[in-house]
Amino acid sequence: MTEDSRLTVDAPDAPLAEGSYVPAALPVGLRRVPSGVDEVSTEHLVVNFGPQHPSTHGVLRMIIEADGEEVVGAEMSIGYLHRGIEKLAEHRRYNALGTLMDRGDYVSGIHGELAVALATEALIEVEVPEKAHWIRSLMSEVNRIASHLVWYGTFGLDAGGMGQFLYAVRDREMLLDILEAVSGSRMMFNYIRPGGVLADLPQGTDRKLLEFLDLFDIHIEEHDQLLGGNEIFQSRVHGVGVIDKETAIAFGLTGANLRASGVGFDVRRDRPYAAYDKLEFSVPMAAEGDCWARYAVRMEEMRQSARMVRQCLEGMPEGDFTAKVPKVLRPPAGEAYAAVESPRGEWGVHVVSDGTESPYRLRYRPPALFALQVVEAIMPGSLIADAIVMAGSVDLVLGEIDR
Amino acid sequence: MHPDVTAITSALRAAGVTSVEVEQTSLGVIVRPQVPELAAVLSALRDGSSVFTFMVDLFGMDTGDAVELTYHLRSLSRDEEIYVRVSVAYDGAFTSVWEAYPAALMPEREIAEMFGLTLQGHPNPKRLLTTDGLDPMLLKRIEIRGAEEVRAR
Amino acid sequence: MALDKLTGENSVLFVRSEQLFDLARSNSLWYLAFGIACCAIEGLMHASGPRYDFDRMGVFFRASPRQADVMIVAGTVNRKMADSVKRLYDQMPEPKWVVAMGACASTGGPFREYPNVIMGVDKIIPVDVYIPGCPPRPESVHFAFIELQNKIRKAAEERVASRRNRDN
Repeated sequence: MTEDSRLTVDAPDAPLAEGSYVPAALPVGLRRVPSGVDEVSTEHLVVNFGPQHPSTHGVLRMIIEADGEEVVGAEMSIGYLHRGIEKLAEHRRYNALGTLMDRGDYVSGIHGELAVALATEALIEVEVPEKAHWIRSLMSEVNRIASHLVWYGTFGLDAGGMGQFLYAVRDREMLLDILEAVSGSRMMFNYIRPGGVLADLPQGTDRKLLEFLDLFDIHIEEHDQLLGGNEIFQSRVHGVGVIDKETAIAFGLTGANLRASGVGFDVRRDRPYAAYDKLEFSVPMAAEGDCWARYAVRMEEMRQSARMVRQCLEGMPEGDFTAKVPKVLRPPAGEAYAAVESPRGEWGVHVVSDGTESPYRLRYRPPALFALQVVEAIMPGSLIADAIVMAGSVDLVLGEIDR
Repeated sequence: MHPDVTAITSALRAAGVTSVEVEQTSLGVIVRPQVPELAAVLSALRDGSSVFTFMVDLFGMDTGDAVELTYHLRSLSRDEEIYVRVSVAYDGAFTSVWEAYPAALMPEREIAEMFGLTLQGHPNPKRLLTTDGLDPMLLKRIEIRGAEEVRAR
Repeated sequence: MALDKLTGENSVLFVRSEQLFDLARSNSLWYLAFGIACCAIEGLMHASGPRYDFDRMGVFFRASPRQADVMIVAGTVNRKMADSVKRLYDQMPEPKWVVAMGACASTGGPFREYPNVIMGVDKIIPVDVYIPGCPPRPESVHFAFIELQNKIRKAAEERVASRRNRDN
């Protein structure tokens, strides 16, 4: 420090020394301090994420008001994929509702078809054969592993890792082969119909599934080590995006997100459907409610799903794969609600029938919408980078949110 | 799974709610209050002994005469579910319940947009899913595109 | 060098710049990472995945439209999205191509009856290749890119030919 009078800060308005450089007039908002460094005023910056963005999981638009790197306010703008599934359902036959549901949450099509099939069956009161229940549980768990692999790949991408994405897609391709052999399509299965399933499992499905599971038991540990064992990933997700128990319940959160916050509600265990009451599985839970808890819960769910698939293969009964249901269903007037545990949470379908061949009203309860609301509520106070990790940890699929 | 109808009725009466019907249907227990008493009913259900703190879903339906809003609530501690239904006239207004159930924030915006209702008391009552200029799509009187219009794409 | 055995030592290669540039362009078509709906999972994620590898064709995704050659419109375009799609298309520098993937981007798909849905993205931007399917298999997307490569090379030939005819 020299004896220069311009370097003292306790006399900011002291005149500059004789003959020193006189600067030009300053723009409004800047205040010159005697050390010669301009003091800048700050303002909040409104940053727009999306709808085209590498990590918005579809066409989500986040409008974030940031003070430097810290998020001060956040708004989620959705509707970029609003295709009117609920309105179009009023013009489709009950057998075809599965095709609309497939395209809602497109990553877990089996669960959507199952939800609407269960709601329809509650209206027409049909006896679904035992084998169909077991096939439905089997396909649901296979789809759950596939969906969680997508989540795992993209969550790692959000946090900055690219390697795990390719390994996840490799495993998912093996599962999609099996799903294609069973249902005919890699993504829009249209397999679960009211009354049962479309067709029996082809010969060799159990062998292929067991081969996959033997590989998967090794791969899941590798996946967990690759991402979860990575110190950088751990420091990015520990303590980030904490959703405590009261917030989770107040915002209607369901699924793995709710269980990671300490509330144990699983539709498979508490409102059993298909063959889940005969399967043995544990429901993983965590208490912290941060992104790491959601990550750990979903990784464990994948292991439990693998366990359930093995049980389904061993315990598969003989019998019909579907009940006799007319092609054009005309359920009696009434309403029913059926929910399944989709990888994102409780996927509920509320069907109101008026006796005609199309539903009067089909309401599709999207679990990811409630998760999005929570993220919008807890985002202020975090960093922008954490905001992206938070949005990725709750497993959003915009097709479901926008319907 | 289904709560006791008499217990719910007496709890609501004790909370000062006068004109409300509680009935058990094949769907479950449905509570039908009048619109002005909706907030009182929801508070009674949430804070009372039944503890319906979890809102499963909130949706609307065009019944032909009015728009019927359904609040599907769940009590996690007692494992019970209940439906609360109110009727709102076409082009009418309804008050937000987001302070009692923050889960209703986005569904209410969607109902207001899809059924042409006005939302009051909401922190962000903007359109949720569509841009301006689209009709309230879930009303029965709004038609989807016909076959000719689609073919003449 | 091995190549000298083919051409002879100290040889000079003449090639029309048109053909060279279009060879380069067609063999490194970088697409904009813009997945709207279900087709994005099949056509962008799986087509670039380890089994149906897009990278061997030189195709790779870019996050910014300024760095992309192709825009794969993978999913239903509705009125709210149309503004963004047009703006992204305008931000892409020339030469640029558009691939309409799936039934929704081609003609509106299973949702074409809903008034909010735009029946095909070719109502807002010019499309070069249409891929039918709901969703199309990743191999279909690869085939579409091969068709696009052929289209680029054919356009180069036509340009050269028309110039030759004009000069004669």
